[in-house]
Amino acid sequence: MSFITALALGLVALVLAPYLAHRLRRRSADVRDFAAAHLVPPAPPMARRRSRLEDRALFGVRALAVIALALLGATPLARCSRLSLARGGASIAVAIVLDDSMSMRRRTGPSTPIHFARARAGAHEIVASLVEGDAVAIVLAGAAPRVALAATTDRTAAKAALDALVVSDRATDLEGALAVARTLIADLPQADKRVVLLSDLADGHRDGSTLALDGAIPAWNALPDLAADGLDCGVAGADRAGLRVKVTVACGPSASAEGRPVEIVDEKGAVVERSTVQRSRAEVTLVLKAEPPGSLVARLGGLDALAEDDVAPVVTESGPSAVAVVAEAASGSEGPSGAPAVEQALLALAVDSTIRPLPVLPDQPQDLSAFAAIVLDDPPGLTPEQRRALAAWVESGGVVLIALGRRASTAPLGATFEPFLARGPTYAPSPVAGARRPALHPGLAGAAETLGDIAPRGRATLGEADAHGYQVDIAWADGAPLLLRRSLGRGEAWVLTLPFRVDESDLALRPGFLSLLDAFVREARRHAAPRRVEVGSTWVFERPRALAVDGPAGPVSVVRDPDAARVTPAVLGLYRVREGERSESRVASVATREMDLQPRKISGESRREPLGAAHARVDVSWMAALLLMACLTAELVLRLVLARKEERARGADLT
Amino acid sequence: MNVAAEIDWGKLAPLRLRARAIAEGVWAGAHRSARKGAGIEFGGHREYTPGDDLRWLDRRSLLLHDRLVTRQFETETDRALWLVVDATRSMSYRGTRARGAKYAWCSVVAAALARVAVASGDPVGLELLGAGARARRVPASGGREVFDRIVMALESSSVDGDAIADAGVVQRSLAPIVRMARRGSIVVVLSDLIDLPQGAAREIAALGHAGRVVVVVQALDPDEIDFPFDGTFRLRSLEGEITVETDGNAKERYLARLAQLTTAWEEELSGRGARFLRASTADDPGDVVRAIVEAAR
Repeated sequence: MSFITALALGLVALVLAPYLAHRLRRRSADVRDFAAAHLVPPAPPMARRRSRLEDRALFGVRALAVIALALLGATPLARCSRLSLARGGASIAVAIVLDDSMSMRRRTGPSTPIHFARARAGAHEIVASLVEGDAVAIVLAGAAPRVALAATTDRTAAKAALDALVVSDRATDLEGALAVARTLIADLPQADKRVVLLSDLADGHRDGSTLALDGAIPAWNALPDLAADGLDCGVAGADRAGLRVKVTVACGPSASAEGRPVEIVDEKGAVVERSTVQRSRAEVTLVLKAEPPGSLVARLGGLDALAEDDVAPVVTESGPSAVAVVAEAASGSEGPSGAPAVEQALLALAVDSTIRPLPVLPDQPQDLSAFAAIVLDDPPGLTPEQRRALAAWVESGGVVLIALGRRASTAPLGATFEPFLARGPTYAPSPVAGARRPALHPGLAGAAETLGDIAPRGRATLGEADAHGYQVDIAWADGAPLLLRRSLGRGEAWVLTLPFRVDESDLALRPGFLSLLDAFVREARRHAAPRRVEVGSTWVFERPRALAVDGPAGPVSVVRDPDAARVTPAVLGLYRVREGERSESRVASVATREMDLQPRKISGESRREPLGAAHARVDVSWMAALLLMACLTAELVLRLVLARKEERARGADLT
Repeated sequence: MNVAAEIDWGKLAPLRLRARAIAEGVWAGAHRSARKGAGIEFGGHREYTPGDDLRWLDRRSLLLHDRLVTRQFETETDRALWLVVDATRSMSYRGTRARGAKYAWCSVVAAALARVAVASGDPVGLELLGAGARARRVPASGGREVFDRIVMALESSSVDGDAIADAGVVQRSLAPIVRMARRGSIVVVLSDLIDLPQGAAREIAALGHAGRVVVVVQALDPDEIDFPFDGTFRLRSLEGEITVETDGNAKERYLARLAQLTTAWEEELSGRGARFLRASTADDPGDVVRAIVEAAR
């Protein structure tokens, strides 16, 4: 038995002694026969109650007094488990980096709070340990790092800011958060500057470089026991095309979802379809038996460290999945069917979309709504109706590929390419052969390599103003643009300065042509499907009309500036975006690196003096002294009042 | 609950011997007051009680009405002694310092008085307050055998009855005395007086009318006199089913109430010519008998 244990037992005995004495004193009264009992006055009610109430009150007061005395005596030794900063005499500027990422939703036991709650409580303790003149700033380490509170000396504001914080499903960006925190306090006048890190250190870079906590502004990992150590898998995405649902399961580096069930659950919670993960990092495809009436949810069964990422909404890929091809038929040398080269190439790619050849581009917007992508091969300009319909379609999410050639340059009067091109292109023999500039679009990397030796008869040239508005993905050897892209509303316009016809160029004969078309179709499908981003990424809406976003947790705040509105989804799930009369669905999906729950290595803490402690020494002497004085006063008052009452009751009884 | 209480005779048993011994000490100074022979003046009838002198049995009444009736004469009732002993349940109380229960102590005093009276040639009668169904009243009569009948009646009686619940117990017990006790009779009431119903003092004092001498002896246990209890306890009365939770601090108020009760009795009795004595069951019964004899003169 340690000395502290013996001391604690002694204190308990001291507190209990008055209570036991009280109980012994209050043993049940003896019953005696007495002939003159009716002459004996009963003890006054106050006197009888006194044995219960007064003694109980006195017992309470005395027990409190004993505790106060013990605290008073133990003040030099009194410690409590709370975070506090080690301090000299000067004021401190401290930046608290609070991790609000998804991994902080972990809890060590079913009844224990989540790590974020512990970290926030630790931040409260840090703030409580500050004194007048100290400055505090709060930075959230969920990606992207945010400033929850700029540096201030107002501790009340800091406490309020901490109370308002909630955990999110974001990924973790410790380095960014530390950098922001150091920036926030770097210019403050306090000489002693510190960063307090309250995180599980699971940022998905456990094998990366160590996180340096030393430097000009040192950082203190205040809650090392929060370090994550679990294994986690989750549903990275669930996409549905028709009755097929493709569920993507992702796991942390050491975890495996093999053998765990994957279920499709309807709105009522009933399991519609079930399958099993065959191997780690697998895609599980489930085929529904019938069209479900409402929305669906994909759920990964079994247990792991985080339950929040085991559920994801099933996103229905949008209806328009067909690709329209507007091209002149082959002139006889392009194959037995006479289909245009681009159409044949798309069929050869076996894209999971319907290829619809069109003789002319429809001039009604509703006629374009069935298409996810439109390929225009050397169109002889567009009529005003076609232009209006095509522009509206692109702005609503469509992707168009316009290949410019001889006919495009000789468009009749009034048949232009606005709003894609302000001026008509010119077509002339190509001064150089081959593309040189590497592709910026990742899907075009292969295409750029194989187009290095194309030898066209001619090429289209855009006006300078038109080319300036586009991003050049692939350029000719002389720098002239070959493939350009531009976002227009929610859609994109791709412009190629070569036609597809083989009598004009050998582009369609190059392997890179298929790569280009594949990238185009994938981009079109991505636009047609609900937009999926990692949670924590920002959606930007340029000059939106009435914008409202509803997420899984209710309406999401929209940050507006004169030119754009920004929405950042902080939790996983499906978001409904209403922009004017138009509405769409977007999905915030899990950042797979957040499933890596192994802590990142840190360095630099052992080489310096500790910046704080988890067990603070607390001066409770003034509180104990006040309590003791209050107890003594209370006992005096209690005795005085009760004595008067008893005296009054006795006098009344005698009279 | 109304169960007859056992009588704790304590140091006062056996009653007969104790009474004789006490009476011996008192008798020395007494003188014979009764006359022998037939009565001079017919004084009325009363029911025959076994032991009565058969010479005074009214044969005419026996023959005419088939009732045993005894004729009485004035000469027999001049100095008759009527003993009234309280036999309610409160009299069964005995504290640690008492010689015996209050009933036992009063019985000794009563028997000793009867012995003294018998020795003086005076007739003696006995009435019991309460005492339940087995109570045997002893009509006033002379002769040595009356002492034995009184002792037997006292010994065989149980302490029973609840004067608080039964307000008519005093009136019923005193009625024969009112009817039969003549001028010059001495009525000695032995009771603790603490449970008797309201109006009992007036009824007892009323016995003093018509030239009777009434001596009331309040016999209390020492515990009842000085209330020696301490701490918190509950007191259960022997009559009235009263339980009181109290503590040692109630002593002062209890003694005040007891004094108030005693004073009320004393004032009521003294105001009507009766004598009032106060005794403790720790006292020597002989002293009390002498005090009663003195008071009755």
